[in-house]
Order: sequence, then C-alpha cells, then structure tokens
Amino acid sequence: MTASILTVDDSASLRLATRIALTGAGYTVAEASDGVEGLAKARGCRFDLIITDLNMPNMDGLTMIRQIRQLPIQTGTPIIFLSTESDDGLKQQAKAAGATGWLVKPFQPEQLLRITQKVLAR
Amino acid sequence: MDDTADTPWDDNGQLEVLTFDVGDERLAIEATHIREIVDLLPETLVPGSEPLVASIVNYRGKIIPIADLRVAFDMPLAEPTPDSRIVVIETELAGEVTQLGLRTDKVHEVAILNRQDSSPPPQVGLRWRRDYVRALVRLPDAVLALPDLEVIFDSVLGSGRKAA
Amino acid sequence: MSEQDPAAAFRIEAADLLDGIEQALLDLAIQLDDRDLVDTVFRGLHTLKGSGAMFGFDALAAFTHHCETAFDRVRKGQAQASAELVHVILSAMDHMRALVDGDAPEAASDAILARLHAALPADGAPAARSPDISDAAPGQRAPEIAGWRLAFRLPPDAMANGTNPLALLDELRGLGACRVRALASDLPALDGLNPQHCLIRWEVELDGAIPREAIEDVFIFVMDDMEMQLEPVTPSVPDTVNAPSSLPPPAVSEPVTHKVETAARAVPRAGESVRVPAERLDVLMDRVGELVIVQSRLSQLANSPFSVTAGNAIVLRSIAEEIERLVSEMRDTMMVLRMVPIATLFGRFRRLIHDLARETGKDIELVTDGEATEVDKTVAEQLADPIVHLIRNACDHGLETAAERVAAGKPPAGRVTLTAAHAGGEVLITITDDGRGIDRDRVRAKAEANGLVQPGQALSDPDLLHMIFHPGFSTAAQVTSLSGRGVGMDVVKRTIEGLRGTIDIASVAGAGSTFTLRIPLTLAIIEGLLVRVGTGRYVIPLTAVEECLELTAHDDDRSRGRSMIRLRDALVPFLRLRDLFGSTSAPDDHQKIVVIATGGERVGLVVDQIIGSHQTVIKSMSAVHRPVTSFSGATILGDGSVALILDIMHLVALGQHREARLRAVG
Repeated sequence: MTASILTVDDSASLRLATRIALTGAGYTVAEASDGVEGLAKARGCRFDLIITDLNMPNMDGLTMIRQIRQLPIQTGTPIIFLSTESDDGLKQQAKAAGATGWLVKPFQPEQLLRITQKVLAR
Repeated sequence: MDDTADTPWDDNGQLEVLTFDVGDERLAIEATHIREIVDLLPETLVPGSEPLVASIVNYRGKIIPIADLRVAFDMPLAEPTPDSRIVVIETELAGEVTQLGLRTDKVHEVAILNRQDSSPPPQVGLRWRRDYVRALVRLPDAVLALPDLEVIFDSVLGSGRKAA
Repeated sequence: MSEQDPAAAFRIEAADLLDGIEQALLDLAIQLDDRDLVDTVFRGLHTLKGSGAMFGFDALAAFTHHCETAFDRVRKGQAQASAELVHVILSAMDHMRALVDGDAPEAASDAILARLHAALPADGAPAARSPDISDAAPGQRAPEIAGWRLAFRLPPDAMANGTNPLALLDELRGLGACRVRALASDLPALDGLNPQHCLIRWEVELDGAIPREAIEDVFIFVMDDMEMQLEPVTPSVPDTVNAPSSLPPPAVSEPVTHKVETAARAVPRAGESVRVPAERLDVLMDRVGELVIVQSRLSQLANSPFSVTAGNAIVLRSIAEEIERLVSEMRDTMMVLRMVPIATLFGRFRRLIHDLARETGKDIELVTDGEATEVDKTVAEQLADPIVHLIRNACDHGLETAAERVAAGKPPAGRVTLTAAHAGGEVLITITDDGRGIDRDRVRAKAEANGLVQPGQALSDPDLLHMIFHPGFSTAAQVTSLSGRGVGMDVVKRTIEGLRGTIDIASVAGAGSTFTLRIPLTLAIIEGLLVRVGTGRYVIPLTAVEECLELTAHDDDRSRGRSMIRLRDALVPFLRLRDLFGSTSAPDDHQKIVVIATGGERVGLVVDQIIGSHQTVIKSMSAVHRPVTSFSGATILGDGSVALILDIMHLVALGQHREARLRAVG
C-alpha cells in the first residue's frame, strides 16, 4: 500500500513541484493551500506524512501543526515543515509546536525524497 | 425607366426565390437571403417600437426582431394559423448584417422567376407605397410582388448610432 | 493529460507576487512609516527569492536577495524607508519581471543595485552573493575507523511528535551492518505505561569506516533533544569484521547539483491564462451535464428501430431544440469566461501615475471607480495602450504644476479620474483630469497651420476638439519624452475604432478635460432584478436598484393622476410601467415599486410583480430596436423566453421630465 502524503503550501508552483516529485516516487499526494484547508484534510483521514510551509494566509503553519497534534487520527504522524532560513529560533518554535523535522527551501526533488524516506516508517 | 434593374436577376435573367403569402398577397424574396423557415416562436413585445417590428424572439440563442409585412402593406393584422411560419432572413440593415424573421401566413415553394415575366410596379393603382416594391412578376396562377426590404426597413431605423 | 510545468506555474505566481509587492510599495510611498507595509514587501521579496531559487531562476533569486536584504534592514529598524528607496525597489520590480521572462539585460542589474546602495548605504556587512542554500555536508571517508558504538535515548514525546525510532534504526542499518539492542530499564510498570512515550534506550554497534557526520545526520531532527553517546571503534578491536561500507555517506541536504532549465530559454509570457470565478465553471458543468443527458436520448432514438412516425419526429425535434438551447447557452458561458474585471488594467495605472508624478515633478493623485466592470479579455488588452497614452497626456499636458494650480485657486495635487461602467450593450470608460483644459485657440491655430481647416472657416466645438486626433498633430511646443513616443492621439483613436468604439472629448478651459471611450460589447453580464409588467418580463440592472416596496392600495389610489409618490419622508417621481408599456392584461392586486437611482436622481417604477434576482447576459438588439430608448438590450431567460433590459438613465430622465412638466403646468 502506498504511503499517503499531505502537502500544505500557499504556493501553487511549489505544491506542483512537490507533487510531481512525490508521485514520481510512487507516493499518493493530497494538497491544501493554507492552514485551514490543511487542518480540515488532516481531520478527515490519517496521512503517513505531512509536509507544510509555515508562512501561509488564513492559518499559519505553526498554528496548524499545533492543532494537528491534537487530533487522535494523526497521532505520531511525521510533520516536516519547510524553512527558508537556517534560523534556529524558528526550528525550535516549530519543534515545540510538534513538528518532526524540516526541509530547507530552496530544495531539489532528491532532497525532498531523501527526507521523505527518512521519516516514513518502512 | 426600368425599375426591375434593382432586382438581382442573374446573367440568364433568372432569380431563385422563396414565395410566401402575407394576407392575400403573394410575395417573393431571393433565396440567397433566406436562412431558415421555422414554426412560430414565442414573441416578446417591445413597447415603444415601430408597429412593423413590434416584437422579438429567441432564435437559436440570438435575439432577432419579427417583422410583420402586413404593416408595411397596410393590411389589417391577423391571428396566426396552423400554416403560419417565420421566414428568417439575413440582410444588411444600417450597415450591419442582421437576421430578422418575417411573419408569413403560408410558405410556398422555391421558384425560379424570369425577368421577362416581370414588370416595374405601376405608377398608380398600387395598394402600397410604390418604393416598397421592386417588381411584379406574372405567374400562371398569381402575381408575385418582390418587396424592397431595404426601403421598408429603412423607415423604422431612426437615427441609428452616433458616427464614430 | 499534459504534465504541468512547475516553472510555468511559478512564472504566473511570480507575476502575482510582483504585482502584490508593487501595490504595497505604492501604498508605502504614501505612508513611509507603515510597518505592516514594510513587512508585506519584505515577505513578498523573501518568498520570491526562495521560490525563484527552487525553480532554477537563479539570477532572479540572487538579485531579489539584495532587495530583500535592504528591506530587512528597514524592517529591523536599522534603516529608514525613503521615497527614493521605494522608487528604486519599484524599478527593481521591473527588472525582476524581466528576469522571470528571461529577457533581462545584464547591465540593468548592476545599475539598480548601485542605486539601491546609494539610497540605503550599506552598513559594512558584505552582501551575500548567493541565496540561502541548505547545508551541504561534504562526504568524506573517515580514516582509521572500523565502526562505532552508539547509545541513545530519545525524548519521551519524540514518537508523539512523529519521530519513528524504527525508521532511525533502519537508517543506521543503511549505513552499515548493525547489531541493535533495546534496553527497557526505564520503562515503568505496565499500569503506569503510556504507550506514546518513548522510554526505550538503544545501543547500536555499527561496522564500517562511516563518517561521524553521517551518523549524526540520521538524528539531525532530534539531535537537540536526545541523549547520545557515540564512540569510534578502532581497527584493533577484533569484533569488527565487516568490510567498510561502500555506500557514500548520504547527506540530509545535498549541494545543488541538479538544475532545472534556466530561465534563459524563450518563454511564453505569463498571462496566457485567465482567472475564472468558480461559479461560472459550475454553470458550464451544469450545461455539459444536461447535454450529456440529451445526447443519450438521441443515441437511444438512433439505436432503436427508427421509423419515420409523427411521434418520433416530435421526439427528434424536441431533442434538436434542447441541443440548440444548450449549445447556445454554453457558447454564451464560454464567452463569459473570457470576461475580466477592468481592475486588472487599473492596477497597472497606479504605477504609471507614480512614475509620471516623479518624472513631471507634479503632485498627482489617481481616483478610480467601477473597477468591477467586466470586459472581454482581449478588449482589456487592447485598451491598455490607448488609456496609458491618455493618462500620460493628461499628466503631461493637462495638469499644471503645483505652483500654477495654487495660483489658480486649485488644490496643489492634480487629479486624474478613471471610471468604467456598463451602459446597456457598451462599456463606458472615462479619463478625466482637473487641469487646464484644451486650449482651443492653439488647436485652431495648429489645424490651420496644417491645412486641416481654412482660416475663418466655421468649425463646431466637437469637430475642433477632434482635430487633436489627426495624425502628426501635437500642440505641445516640444514633444516630451512622456507622451510623444510615436504613439500619438491618432493611434489612440484608431485603436478604439478598431474595437468598433467611439471616443469623445469634453473640455472646459481652466477646469480640465474628459475623454470618454465607448466600446460596444456583444456580450456582457450584469446582475439584474427580474420583474413582470403585464405579460412581459423585464430586467432592471441591480446596481441601480435602491429598494423594492409594495404599493399599498391606499397609496395607489392617492397617486393616480399624480407623478410623485411619498416614500417615507421624501417625494419620489414614479412611472407606472403598465401605462408606459401599454399593458392590457388585468393588473395584479398588489402593485410593487422598484426604486431605481442613478447620478443622484431617483424614480420609482411600478410593476405587477417582482420575480427575483437574475444573472443576465446582455444581448444587444438589432438596429430596428435601437431607437427604442426605454431598453438597453434584451436577455434570454432560463426557459428560453426573452426579457427586455430597462435603460435606467432613460427612465430616470423620463421620470424627472414628467415631474418637471407637471410642475410647470401645475
């Protein structure tokens, strides 16, 4: 059974690039364009991995991560956030909110797949 | 003065027309102008319009006026009959190619008219405005009138659009 | 289905981002201390840089980085935003647009960066040359090591936060042969055990000359919170028997080696797409759904033993009519999909006014109205240049300098007003300036000098004003670099006429000029109120509707023979549409009044029934019905019948006129 991944980002081009890379590697991908939509989808079904941007309208990534961590259906789901800075402060904040790991933008498809394989249970 | 020069006879002196009845007159219009013959369509009155073009209809998604030539020829208006049809023609009005529907009481066939059977409308004794008729054509069983649609519709066009 | 290209999607996003940043900059120019705007600009630049780097637009990312750095300083309070800085960044926007499109001149980048440094002196820190790329971990083979001994414990909430110890162990196994031991000594008794807590400790023996960084990389996400002891095993220890791993040490983030095609190749302009409101697509889907049903009816008929009976002929005809109706509606909907609000053009003009104000040294403000007015996409594109030229003309020739204006008793800032509105089957666009107006004597003199008119020849005012559209005609003493770029008023006129439109001029000496563009639309959509008068149905444009009331029998009687009706505290002229339209059917018991308003004037329209709101596709009527001024067009309702669209201006004028006449008599 293929792993299902939820990507949350307000940039359509980034979602598209991510989708192409992930589906090319055999994963199933669902998308959301902001924290509100992401949370709604996370409520609906369990994902094997959630990849999210932090800077989004309507509900930012940190808030969404905190809310997702309250959902029983997503217990233990790895959440990777996209960071554009090597700012440690932000990483600490995100981890405190419940994120599992990060991926620094800009990233290439290989880097995305590497991180994905890293956190997914075999 | 030969008014039948207005009528577009071809090089052989012939003209293909559709013939139809309006009241007790038989009229003819060149077949090239005829787009379609359809059953009566639900009409919407346009208050304030000229009686000749008192209503509009939805013809294949387009809004076109319906003209009642009885008005042009001073005939009393009448109720539709089972034979009534709308003849949709395409002609130039005010410089624009326009589609409009003519209300007819009965549509006959497409016929070929010959120039030699035609004559200009008489100076006197004609029921209608002389300039509304291009020519009269003698047939074995009837006399056909070829209406001059351009002149007829000119009377209702008003001042038209402002010049650019 | 064709694979979408992320770079193409990025180009469209970049265009939006740049527009957004530009609007924020223009707002900032007026309000230099607005911190929110500074943040907005910074965030936009930041996003642009990051996404640009991701999709291979390296030049864009590098260039944007400089602008982002400058704005970061402003954001952090280390520098002040100035009008000059805003202007430089605006020029930078243009360069970024060119970089996105792939046709940016090399030298332009350096020129703008030089201006940037002049506007915001660097604080000494050298600007970073390249955008933030994720940490590159160079792979090196660790010499003289046979393996490692690793003991680690994860924080108790690691699993709740998505860390999977088994995945970590698998990763270690991927580095080399492992022997893993799990230690449960920290686990509490079963009744105190929380299965989500990670309390197991692990000890791992790893074989191979694996670099320390590779092992640490496995734990990169949890490194800060975990306990770990990592000791190398030297080759002399006998139990390391495995051969050194031949796997290159994987890095979490690898150096950028794979490049997406650069932006240098020939690129279609972003803007080939059209933004479409979802509801319009829904309508189209509905029609397609209906078409599918009808088509299956047709197939059924075609496949059944079909003999020409009267019954079958009727069914066939009904199907044909259905298809005809659906196809026509779908065609209308498709054309509607191409409609865009004219706001897309107006946004561009804000920037234009800003630039023109700087270049002319005049204080100019732009006022717009009717941004939501929709026009066909190609019409909008073709109108852009003429309107730009008219605005330039207004700013260059029409508006006076601040000093001149004050001397003339005007406010120092010149005003350019752009409006757009639907009037029946046309779009009306006006460009107004409150400047000096057209100097008719100079126009006359120039026309005579060009031989267009004889001295002493009588010329009506409109004809005189229209002289300025003559090719080569320019009354400016010198053609300035702004308006005289070979575009010219004659090209403006030709473009408008190419759209089958007209252009009119109104001008008052000392007060200003107004150019009015009228472009016919064969198709336009308005929100309308559907009403019934007698047996006919009519549409009233909703924007003109103020309110709907019931006309009580009492008021109905009282107002017979009068032209005014009392609505709360005011007297409003009213028109009984039944009378106006000559309805002969029996009137409804309770008449309704629809109060419409335009240009500050109101009139009440008395109708039999108010049916409801209706999204109306305006269809113009043929030439034979254009003289009927009460109606500005017609529309086809859902059941295929026709409703006439009321011309608000005409009806309001009629109401006012009647009232005036009755007043004169009475």
